Amino acid sequence: MALISVQGLTMTYQAPVRQAGLKAAVVSLFHREYRAINAVQGISFEVDAGEVVGFIGPNGAGKTTTLKMLSGILQPTSGEARVLGCVPWKREPVFLRQIAMIRGSQPIGGAGELTVLDALRFQQLLYEVSHSEFQRNVAELTEMLDLQPLLERQVRALSLGERMRAGLALALLYRPRVLFLDEPTLGLDVTAVRMLRRFVADYTRTTGATMLLTSHYMADVETLCKRIMLIDKGQLAYNGDLAGLAITNSPYKVVKVAVADEAQPDWSSFGEVVEAEEGKVALRVLRQEVPAVITRLLAELSIADLSVEEPPLESVIDQVFREGVVRCA
Amino acid sequence: MRLIQLLAINTWREFLQWMAWRAFLITMVINQAVTPLLGLAVWSAALPGRTGISTYYVALLVVQLMTVSYEHHTFANGIYSGEVSHELLKPQPVVITTLGTNLALRIWHLLVGLPIIIVAGLIAPLSFELRLVLLAIPAVVLAAALRFLFTYLLALSAFWMQQAHGVVGFGESLIFLLGGTAAPVMLFPEQLRAVGEALPFRAMLGLPAEIAAGSLNGAQIVQGYAWQCIWLPVLALAAIIGWRRGVRRYTAVGG
Repeated sequence: MALISVQGLTMTYQAPVRQAGLKAAVVSLFHREYRAINAVQGISFEVDAGEVVGFIGPNGAGKTTTLKMLSGILQPTSGEARVLGCVPWKREPVFLRQIAMIRGSQPIGGAGELTVLDALRFQQLLYEVSHSEFQRNVAELTEMLDLQPLLERQVRALSLGERMRAGLALALLYRPRVLFLDEPTLGLDVTAVRMLRRFVADYTRTTGATMLLTSHYMADVETLCKRIMLIDKGQLAYNGDLAGLAITNSPYKVVKVAVADEAQPDWSSFGEVVEAEEGKVALRVLRQEVPAVITRLLAELSIADLSVEEPPLESVIDQVFREGVVRCA
Repeated sequence: MRLIQLLAINTWREFLQWMAWRAFLITMVINQAVTPLLGLAVWSAALPGRTGISTYYVALLVVQLMTVSYEHHTFANGIYSGEVSHELLKPQPVVITTLGTNLALRIWHLLVGLPIIIVAGLIAPLSFELRLVLLAIPAVVLAAALRFLFTYLLALSAFWMQQAHGVVGFGESLIFLLGGTAAPVMLFPEQLRAVGEALPFRAMLGLPAEIAAGSLNGAQIVQGYAWQCIWLPVLALAAIIGWRRGVRRYTAVGG
């Protein structure tokens, strides 16, 4: 059963506009003109309980606006949405108690002078987490997020990575059933990104929480999500599984070959060369031609290593956004 | 009951938060204490020998510190910075956080301002009567509620404009002029006094001090309470409407 259900969700902002110059500025005092900005245009989708879905799109595509509507921060211009059976923008306490939204740009809000432990205690009281559950969850989160060194530190003095760890602990203390993660790895170093990905994967697996994730980093999506939704110019361009995206939107596969001897064949006769170094090459080959090309490679060359891979997710998504190749699953 | 619990939690949190800004708190308290102390000095010189005036201004100092409101800094800035989006996600009315901050700040103002009150009380000739001080306590509570609602209402202008500080500043000027700081309302010219008594500004500040200083007779005290009770639902209703419209605009144009 769908935990998140969205039908024709649309968000149009009215942005004030005027020509440059004094005259236009004076005129705008009496006659303001607005331009409609269609941030999200009639998108529809469903997310089942326990699913982890990546929400991908270029800047300004409507990802964050959609997440804000689903978490109740924004009220749509039109359309319907239900999260956990509630209309999000009514912001009923029963709904707000079961969701969390974490923004990479601002992982923690509120009193920055408090220590992380103070902030956790505040969350405990706000979300009415029992003492025993609080102790258990804090212990678990402390271990998973390596929070111990942060508990007695003031929130304002934390680095971005530490803020994200603390923000996750604050958001997950009350065990929300639905998580909205908006660019959670924004600005984090490699170690912090790995830790965060591992943590989110463990959390969703052990708690069965449903998660909608936006990120510009494909590795986040590949690590955490089986299903992705591509959004571009406010419209859904793809909604399906990761593997399907490559199959339906890229007619090519990547064949990587390493030769055993010093032979220097004409690689372009096998496919388009996308990478080449001494004795190794990566070829872009049409899907239907892959078996024939492999047969030729094995017959004509002394092969030390050979692999066939889907093209990198970045390049497939880039192709979808640039060329508008859209094939919804 | 849950609302009271939430208010207590938020007040506790903000009390801790402001503890870290104690140096800033001292400057805030001094700023708030300046105008009543100035009034005390000026009016004591203008009307020498009148204990009622000095009693009034010391009482006004206490009321000022107990009713102080900074929603243009706390709440309006949250709208500008987008912090209010975090508040919208919490399972509590957004106003609870603002009110918690307000109460925490008032407690801090009273604590930090206590030495100033004691010194002013030692220097100025005072004549407080316990019965009247007790009679003034409900008026202080109502004044605190009115001043919060008034400042909160003006701070809601942040949903529509970038200059909420200016709007609240204008409101503060009205409280200063007509609320009993620049001059006690009881000393206003007769026609202006009637207007001053009816407007909400005296109900927010001067009235409890007038009651405590023994400046009012029984009928005037009842009338003062009546004005407070009239303005309270008016400002509360205006604040509710303002909030609903403001949050609708905020959630329509981007959080």
